Amino acid sequence: MNDQWTDRLSEYVDGELAAGERTALEAHLTTCAHCRATLEELRKVVARGKSLEDRPPRADLWSGIHARLTPGRRPAGSPLGRPGVIRSRRFSFNVPQLIAASIALVLLSAGGMWVALNQPQRQDGQLIPAVWTGRADAAIADLQDALTHNESRLDTATVRVVRENLALIDRAISQARIALNADPGNAYLNLHLADTMRRKLELLRRVNAIATAQS
Amino acid sequence: MLTIFAAAVLASLASVQGESDTTIAVPAGASLTVNNFGGAIVVHAWTQNRVKVHAEHGSRGRIEVSLVGNTVTVKASSRMGAPSVVDFEITVPQNMPLTLSGTYTEIQVDGVKGPISAETVDGSIEVSGGSGNITLHSIQGSVTLADATGRIEVNSVNEDVALSNVSGQIKAETTNGDVTLTGVKSPSVEATTINGDVVYEGTITDGGTYTFNSHNGDITVSVAEGANVTISVATANGDIDASFPLPLQRTDRGHRYTFKLGTGSARMEAESFQGDINLRRPTEIRERMQHRDKNRNHEEN
Repeated sequence: MNDQWTDRLSEYVDGELAAGERTALEAHLTTCAHCRATLEELRKVVARGKSLEDRPPRADLWSGIHARLTPGRRPAGSPLGRPGVIRSRRFSFNVPQLIAASIALVLLSAGGMWVALNQPQRQDGQLIPAVWTGRADAAIADLQDALTHNESRLDTATVRVVRENLALIDRAISQARIALNADPGNAYLNLHLADTMRRKLELLRRVNAIATAQS
Repeated sequence: MLTIFAAAVLASLASVQGESDTTIAVPAGASLTVNNFGGAIVVHAWTQNRVKVHAEHGSRGRIEVSLVGNTVTVKASSRMGAPSVVDFEITVPQNMPLTLSGTYTEIQVDGVKGPISAETVDGSIEVSGGSGNITLHSIQGSVTLADATGRIEVNSVNEDVALSNVSGQIKAETTNGDVTLTGVKSPSVEATTINGDVVYEGTITDGGTYTFNSHNGDITVSVAEGANVTISVATANGDIDASFPLPLQRTDRGHRYTFKLGTGSARMEAESFQGDINLRRPTEIRERMQHRDKNRNHEEN
């Protein structure tokens, strides 16, 4: 359920509404539970983004990412480009985009750097879980391949425990996917699925790191 | 004298079968790094500026204790074949930062007041004390931390995580186990598990953030009377229950509900996919924990 204020909530969170609009929105919030809930989601996204660790990308990834992030950057001295000046860019997001961004941030923090390069797709303002989870699945598959390669360096009991825990997370992911398929716009389910997939990425990454260290 | 120590390399090679003892003087601010493939690392604190290393090991075990710059390094290795199993008992100055690691290694620390980093694959970690950065990681063992303050990050994979009487920024996580936080004083708490319960008994500081998340377990959180907190609760298949009145009209499953207590300045998120969300007064949780501990002690005896 959307009303005229729903898409203005991100401006409200950013403190960008005019005083009159702000007052009107705050009055609206006292009577609209949907907008209050959406506002909480937005604040959660902002808080989650701020809480993420600032991890540098791997050196071998960065050159390609940088090139793709700045496709229109002109060389110094070109007619429209001023040398040494980096123009600040302004972004504005609506509610579904912010939820999508939060999912991307969660995945980024776990190593899915390339997710940032392709914004999750939407239809009629709703996220399509199959799209962004597909990308996360690919990152997980890469790490699982690495684990298969590395697990001979680990004790068999450790491998068994890790695989049991990965299966546990897989079941949680499967249950969250089923729930999300029935209710694709549910912000809690979207974030829960993203968090659970992040947990799997982190576990795989950690176990791979341990296995590599023991070689 | 300290510069002499800082520049020197002191190596003590002890290969006596059974056990060995090494004691070295250390400069103020020195840190300790211990790596032990299998066995135990037990660390106690004292008020002296010396590090005492007692090791029990097999005949092929080789213990190396060295001071390079400001770092005391303790290593266990084997002269041939498989790495040896060594039980270390180490006594350090109270404020000495510790970095402890192992594979099949139990780690215990008691009475240290400095930063602690401990990591093992197959073994439990039990720490009492510590301040500053405290990071404790185990894959197959439980992790417990008590009487610590600072930036705390504690996680296991296949066992429980328990923190008591801790303060600072707190992050506690496991995959297959419970996360239990009691006696917490913190403006920032994050506790998550996939298959287990989360229990939080502690303060809710104005402006603080508190996140509790499980997939399969219940979330039980203390909310003191007069707390100023905006609480967001969500469960897909569980129930929401509070032992005090909530400004919440209905609790349909599958959605998040947000409500404000007092000024609402702190933010709390309690979510479980399959489990229940229980909001309780602190005394209720303390009584429940005492009851649980009593039952466990009874079962163990």
